[in-house]
Amino acid sequence: MELRKRLTSEAPKKLLVTLIMLLLAIVMIIPFLWMISTSLKTPAQVFEYPIRWIPANPTWEHHVKVWTGPKSFGTYYWNSLKIAVIGMAGATFLSAFAAYGFARIEFKGRNALFMLYLSMMMIPPQVLFVPKFLMFEWAGIYNTHLALILPGLFTIFGVFMLRQFFLSIPNEITESAFIDGAGHFRIFFRLILPLAKPALATLAIIDFSWQWNDYENALVFLIDEELYTVPLGLQNFILENTVDYNGMMAAASAGIMPMIAVFAIGQRYIIQGLTNSAVKG
Amino acid sequence: MTNNWMRRQRLLGYLFIGPSMLGVLLFFLIPAAYSFGLMFTNYKFMSPNVEFVGLDNIIRLLKDEMFYLSLKNTFYFLLAVPVSIVLGFLAAVVLNQKIYLKKLLRGLYFMPYITSGVAVAFVWMLLFHPTQGPINGLLRSIGIDDPPGWLSTTTSSMVAIDIIWIWFMLGYNMIIYLAALQEVSPELLEAAKMDGARPGQILRKIIWPLVSPTTFLLLITGLIMTIKTFGIIQAVTQGGPGNSTTILSLYVYQNAFRYYDMGYASTISWALFILILLITLAQWVGQKRWVHY
Repeated sequence: MELRKRLTSEAPKKLLVTLIMLLLAIVMIIPFLWMISTSLKTPAQVFEYPIRWIPANPTWEHHVKVWTGPKSFGTYYWNSLKIAVIGMAGATFLSAFAAYGFARIEFKGRNALFMLYLSMMMIPPQVLFVPKFLMFEWAGIYNTHLALILPGLFTIFGVFMLRQFFLSIPNEITESAFIDGAGHFRIFFRLILPLAKPALATLAIIDFSWQWNDYENALVFLIDEELYTVPLGLQNFILENTVDYNGMMAAASAGIMPMIAVFAIGQRYIIQGLTNSAVKG
Repeated sequence: MTNNWMRRQRLLGYLFIGPSMLGVLLFFLIPAAYSFGLMFTNYKFMSPNVEFVGLDNIIRLLKDEMFYLSLKNTFYFLLAVPVSIVLGFLAAVVLNQKIYLKKLLRGLYFMPYITSGVAVAFVWMLLFHPTQGPINGLLRSIGIDDPPGWLSTTTSSMVAIDIIWIWFMLGYNMIIYLAALQEVSPELLEAAKMDGARPGQILRKIIWPLVSPTTFLLLITGLIMTIKTFGIIQAVTQGGPGNSTTILSLYVYQNAFRYYDMGYASTISWALFILILLITLAQWVGQKRWVHY
């Protein structure tokens, strides 16, 4: 009796709020819907108003154009994937290594070093672009993928985030291993890393999305078209096809789809990771 | 024995931190010092004569009208941050109630943040198309005969950029607020309801003050992140039309890689650093004053 009363009084309100929020959510993702819809239309249909969300005669020719020919997105994809995957793997491992040092080993100068790390977070990338450009030029890695891969191996945010996580692992877990004579390396690889799997996954996913979306560094450090990553390739496509709106949207879809896939798979990790580092940090 | 043990610990500590430290040294510390030095030179890329010019660059900066314009544009750009925080808060409060499809909705609102980058910026560029874009199509259909030119006119270009940025940041702010709202005790809200408080009052007088530490954190991190960004602006307007969207970080980029004026670009970049430093200091001071724990 009580339950039925509650259901009848709460359900309509709950439904109404859900509908309003759903409507607003659709407004939020309209740019994505419009992008996909436009990429399947003909040029004449692009700016039809009112908007026909499902095109009358969908065509794949714009997607084909983006993925074939001498400036195929295949090259850009390969470049971006290479840079993002190497960077992600390296940054995650090196951050974990350093985070263990900061969280679990007591030595003189540790806190000073950590403060130095934190202070580096305040330096805007714009301060570093010019000297890095000159240094890379001097070292011969300007206009090569190494100019993105090498700095991509290091993330201060990652060290910070994993240190917080390692500090939260109770000492008792590692103490007995110490008594059995295990050293720090053994404890790190055998005990800490397996325990930290969710945190490592979070960092890996966030770092991958940063590297995949990175436009500013690629803009500064790459010139040759065959080295372009997806954001630069996309810009290039748009500069060369200024009136081909359908093609532009097919190209934009190519740039965005991997992130939507990564998000769909890793949503739990991403949200958890961002929340933890913001609330506890 | 203890001396030996301490030395061993220290060595191990350096061993673990070493690889990462090397990267910090090569890609942060040394470049930062280098950039600081460049500030006092007239170095132009590929030009053979480099001279020490003392404070010339700083004096030039203080007299540079473009610097003040880009500073002003930066502040207009930063207005997107508080707006996205308030909208993110409201979305989080609603999503925190009893509703259906909670996870799906959370994901949809958060999607712009994760797919960030220039790809989406290009989509917005077409949506904002002044004559044929769907946004102005909608405005005309509801009776606004003379809709704004958005990215194509100096008066509305920054508004359009701000809209893109609010859209982008909203989901992130919402996610962080959703976590903060878990800490608000339901008993407290129930008690307020019993005492006859209206929903609007509960929202303003109870929930908003309770999440003030989160608001403050989002404001500081949001401002710093926004100050450092120039990618989407470079992608859609290159600072135009007529410098109306040239923000400070983009002005650094233009001086460095369009005019190859490395010394001056370094000087502007340190002005950017000072801005970030001021916000960080405000964080230290403000945390004590404005935030109710």
